[in-house]
Amino acid sequence: MSLRNPTGEYSVDWVLLNMAVRLRWLCGVLGVALAVVIGAYWYHQIIRAEHYERLAENNRLRVLRLDAPRGLIYDRSGRILVENTPTFRLMIDRGESADLGASLAFAAGILGREERELRAALERHRGVAREVPVLLAEDLELTQVARFEVSEPEHPEFEISTSRRRLYRHSFQTAHVVGYLGEPTPAEHDRDDSLAAGDLVGRSGVELLRDRRLRGNHGERIVVVDSRGRLMGEDVQRADAEPGESVTLTIDLRLQQLAESLLADKAGAIVALDPRDGAVRAMVSSPSFDPNRFAGRLSQEDWDRIVDAPGKPLQNRAIQNTYPPGSVFKIVMAVAGLAEGLLDPEERVYCNGATRLYDRRWRCWQRRGHGFVDLRGALQHSCDVYFYRQGVKIGIEVIAAYARRLGLGGRTGVELPGESEGLVPDSEWSRDRRGYPWYPGETVSVAIGQGPLLTSPLQVAVMTAAVANGGFRVRPYLVAGGGEPPEPLGLDAEVIAFVAEALANVVANGTGRGARTPVVAVAGKTGTAQVVAQETWIRSEDLPPDQADHAWFTSYAPVDAPELVVVVFVENGGRGSEAAAPLARELLEDHFGAAAGT
Amino acid sequence: MLPREPDRWHLLRRVRSVTWLLAGSALALSVIGLVVISSASADMNTDYEVRQSAWIVLGLLVMTAAAAVDYTFLLRYAFWIYLAAVAVLAAVTFFGHEAGGARSWIGIGGFGGQPSDFCKIATVLLLARHMAEAQAPVAPRDWLWAASAFVVAPVLLIALQPDMGGALMFVPMLAAMAIVAGLRLRSALIALGVAAMVAGAIWVFALQDYQKDRVSSFFRPGADPLGSGYQVRQSRIAIGSGQMLGKGYGEGTQSNLQFLPTPHTDFVFAVLGEEYGFMGVTVVLGLLLLYLGNGVRAALAARDPAGMLLVVGLLAFIAGHVLYNTAMVVGLLPITGIPLPFLSYGGSFMLFCCAATGLMIRVDVQRFVNI
Repeated sequence: MSLRNPTGEYSVDWVLLNMAVRLRWLCGVLGVALAVVIGAYWYHQIIRAEHYERLAENNRLRVLRLDAPRGLIYDRSGRILVENTPTFRLMIDRGESADLGASLAFAAGILGREERELRAALERHRGVAREVPVLLAEDLELTQVARFEVSEPEHPEFEISTSRRRLYRHSFQTAHVVGYLGEPTPAEHDRDDSLAAGDLVGRSGVELLRDRRLRGNHGERIVVVDSRGRLMGEDVQRADAEPGESVTLTIDLRLQQLAESLLADKAGAIVALDPRDGAVRAMVSSPSFDPNRFAGRLSQEDWDRIVDAPGKPLQNRAIQNTYPPGSVFKIVMAVAGLAEGLLDPEERVYCNGATRLYDRRWRCWQRRGHGFVDLRGALQHSCDVYFYRQGVKIGIEVIAAYARRLGLGGRTGVELPGESEGLVPDSEWSRDRRGYPWYPGETVSVAIGQGPLLTSPLQVAVMTAAVANGGFRVRPYLVAGGGEPPEPLGLDAEVIAFVAEALANVVANGTGRGARTPVVAVAGKTGTAQVVAQETWIRSEDLPPDQADHAWFTSYAPVDAPELVVVVFVENGGRGSEAAAPLARELLEDHFGAAAGT
Repeated sequence: MLPREPDRWHLLRRVRSVTWLLAGSALALSVIGLVVISSASADMNTDYEVRQSAWIVLGLLVMTAAAAVDYTFLLRYAFWIYLAAVAVLAAVTFFGHEAGGARSWIGIGGFGGQPSDFCKIATVLLLARHMAEAQAPVAPRDWLWAASAFVVAPVLLIALQPDMGGALMFVPMLAAMAIVAGLRLRSALIALGVAAMVAGAIWVFALQDYQKDRVSSFFRPGADPLGSGYQVRQSRIAIGSGQMLGKGYGEGTQSNLQFLPTPHTDFVFAVLGEEYGFMGVTVVLGLLLLYLGNGVRAALAARDPAGMLLVVGLLAFIAGHVLYNTAMVVGLLPITGIPLPFLSYGGSFMLFCCAATGLMIRVDVQRFVNI
């Protein structure tokens, strides 16, 4: 790149002239390079400005969650049923660990767990940025916490964080009422913005019922952090957590505990409620489970073990399972017959231990027979023959209508989720659901609480409450203040009074003698429900355990001013008079004895 | 035919706008750099802005001193100056103490200094003289090989420290001087071939793993976001989030929360971009362009080839640093330790820039007296 030298002679000026030309050319190159650089800055600072602004904010700001403590659950007199307890969690900052394998082995040694378990726990946080500490183990014991604290100089990667864990003080005793917690599903996370990672939600019982209010609202701190995640200066924004609302239940812890212990080695349910307004004082289902097991993170095997445990402990037998009511249904029969004028209380029927209806022989539970019985006597001794015959007279439509009116065969309206309806059959049901006409002989079975009839213990309690409170339908409720005024059933007061008097007699002199107590005057009705229809008469004790009769006893006390309805149901327990009535007596004695004592 | 001792009064009358614009833009850039350094180093334990102020004052003295010396005198002893500079560099390379993985600092009264910066001036002086002599009709034709040899010694020593960025900056200097001195196409192609082979050899035998990482991460910025790619990413975020007007003094979150590496030295321009936006970037690049343009004016004013080549060599060094540094922090080139002239914190580099400025001023002022 030289100019042509016209003379060909050497001159400094000529050399300089050539050099100047080449220098100007270089300046052009420099200019282009600078333009490229300026262009790059323009691209990043003007065109992509917002993109980088967002990235800078992401770098700088970190959102820290402020946990809202879950609300507590109390019994009716303010005794704590469910609370929160501090728990220690082990976090690991993988960025601080020189050798992750060695760190895990060290932690496994202190925790007394397999290193491979911890590795699996760590694996779940694979996607989390390296400098963010992740959860390694929960529910450390204080001694373990101390050992991690002491080893801090050699193992700075471990951090102990405190958290809260749900504590069910009376574990098995209140399990079905208060329920338990579980991890929300991805779908629930999507649906509910208030749920953050690591939250647990109510899965059953009051925990589920009042989940949103028990949870409260998480707060949030937006803080400035430097490149190593250290907090810098003051919060950019802070919204304090709103603690969850506490709940007071209508449950009487003392009654609940006693009821649970009475069912300890049996399957069954006990319901106690106040017939005046429907407040549930005790609701026990057995076998029970320990909701504390669900308060932490639960492995799939543990979950399966609980769900598939013998006796299906997660089921609430008081409301979710339905059974034939057996002779407690005779209360409905008496009310229906009297209210419709189809039953003359003075009419006597002869019972010789069996009767013939619709070309079939129908047995009374009492093989010897009861002789002549009127309505009062039939209730007192639970005479089947009497009700077989009167049932035919009353007819299935009337029986079904009254059964439903008194609260059977439909949800009681208790707040707990998952309540079953049960079944009160009639001819319409038979036609629509079964697809064949009602067979009149079935009415005979229904008359003594058998046949397709299915009721839950809570429904039986509602029915009994209607007799106790003089003819009002109550809606059972568990959350204090959640009650509704009972609904009048439009029944003649004399009808109710007659039945009430008869029920008092059952306990005083009849099949319910097992519930008789000097502490308080009790009224009640026994029930012994057959599990499988039997052609021949077999003593219940001789049946295999899973086919043995269900034992019922429904009762209330005191007779003249009822305050408490108690229903005892023992699955495959045998006779109601022997397996259920004595349990009710213990409960009533304790309840009214304690009340009298104070 | 070197001239007589020039008349100083005579010279002062030749001072023109080039002098004031070179010195003025250098001073303005230094002051801007000081402001940015003080913001970027707010949380650091050392008062970098105080030290840098001292270096600026010292730099002005050095600039004045360099302008006061007849550059032809320096050219006459260029070989000895070069020899001394390389000797000191060699001594430091093999016996100096380590700082940040590189052995390059010598202690001068409590301040650190890099002899490689002094070596740059010495090399430019020697090359200017060598290439200028080659312009004479009796000159040997293969001046490029000798010139390259003069460059190889300091480059190897600097690379051994290891300071790849410092070594790399000799390349644009040699290229610019050779082109202006009249490099022939064939020699250029041969030189490029040799350079490529040397670069290959360096990659295989000399580069440290972290340096290879930097280069490869440049070509794959998404890979390993927390490793070498991290610096480029954070630097880009700083620059991009500065937007048009910037976040203001001390408000740069990327620099003050330590997302940016070495915000007061190599990444000072990213801090500037974050806190003063595209506007600040444009102003500073404008000032740098003003400086370089007046350097070119000084080169064009020279009345002897050696003077012109001297200015071109010095300018090429400074322009190389400017281009590489500004391109590197925005992610156009791989990250390596190359500071931004006048703005980055650093004593000996500041003194080098000031001395170079002084020499350019001297060449401009002395433009009529050398013939």
